[in-house]
Amino acid sequence: MKRYVVVWMGLLAIVAAEVVITLARPATLVLLAVLLALAIVEGGLALLYFMHLKYERRNLLWSLIPTLVIVLVLMGHFFPDAFRLMHQRGTAP
Amino acid sequence: MSHSAALAASEPSPYQIPSRKLGIWMFILADAATFGAMLFAYGYLRVANPDWNRPFAFWPSIVNGIGMTVILLTSSLTMVAAMLESQRGRTSAALRWLGATMALGALFAALHLREWVALIGSGWRLFRNPLGGTPLVGATFFSITGLHMLHVISGVVVIGVIGLGFRRGRFTASHVEITGLYWHFVDLVWMFVFPLVYLLNMR
Repeated sequence: MKRYVVVWMGLLAIVAAEVVITLARPATLVLLAVLLALAIVEGGLALLYFMHLKYERRNLLWSLIPTLVIVLVLMGHFFPDAFRLMHQRGTAP
Repeated sequence: MSHSAALAASEPSPYQIPSRKLGIWMFILADAATFGAMLFAYGYLRVANPDWNRPFAFWPSIVNGIGMTVILLTSSLTMVAAMLESQRGRTSAALRWLGATMALGALFAALHLREWVALIGSGWRLFRNPLGGTPLVGATFFSITGLHMLHVISGVVVIGVIGLGFRRGRFTASHVEITGLYWHFVDLVWMFVFPLVYLLNMR
């Protein structure tokens, strides 16, 4: 249980860091990058320890995580097409 | 013995986990893609709208969000305690931790609803922005946080059902663990919603 309490405290520390960095008012893009990086670290800790991926067989982790990453990267790659298509609409006859 | 049954008997399980655990992981994968799509949509809509307003003041919105985050993270810890106690066969201790998790989940939902009521009271709607900017601010906020709140409320109900079944001996420690995986996923999603939707929209 002690290990999980340490992870929980680490997660709280990351949330505190997120708030302090936001209050420092960096440029929006810098803030986005830092907050995303911290959220990924937080998510990783939750996946590995709270969700026990660290203690499962490695092939479960290697089946799940790259799949999700590929899906999200493809989403990020193709979503801008929705905006491009909006501008390509022809006028009604 | 049928051909498929013979194969199942001779071939070891590739992940060496129960099928219900693999099932919840498949659900989590699909649900993560759903939330990912919503957060990507929010990001692109925000970039595409120069008149995007930042609706949240540090007090009370961000402070409320910090409180909600601490509550949800703590509920993950109580869920882990419930799982460990259930695996040790300590039913009453596991039930106490499950009850604590439910109470924290309900508190999170109550704080979230209070936030919603305050925003609606100041004129925010799904398609209305009282500050005069794009109405997509309210649309994305209520959609993303609404879907997450639905997950939290569903989780509280499921934990209650599993807890009752565990007390009666109908469900096992494995069911508690699988419910825990779902609950930690709900917590994990909030780890992205709080910074991206709240902190990035602080005035």
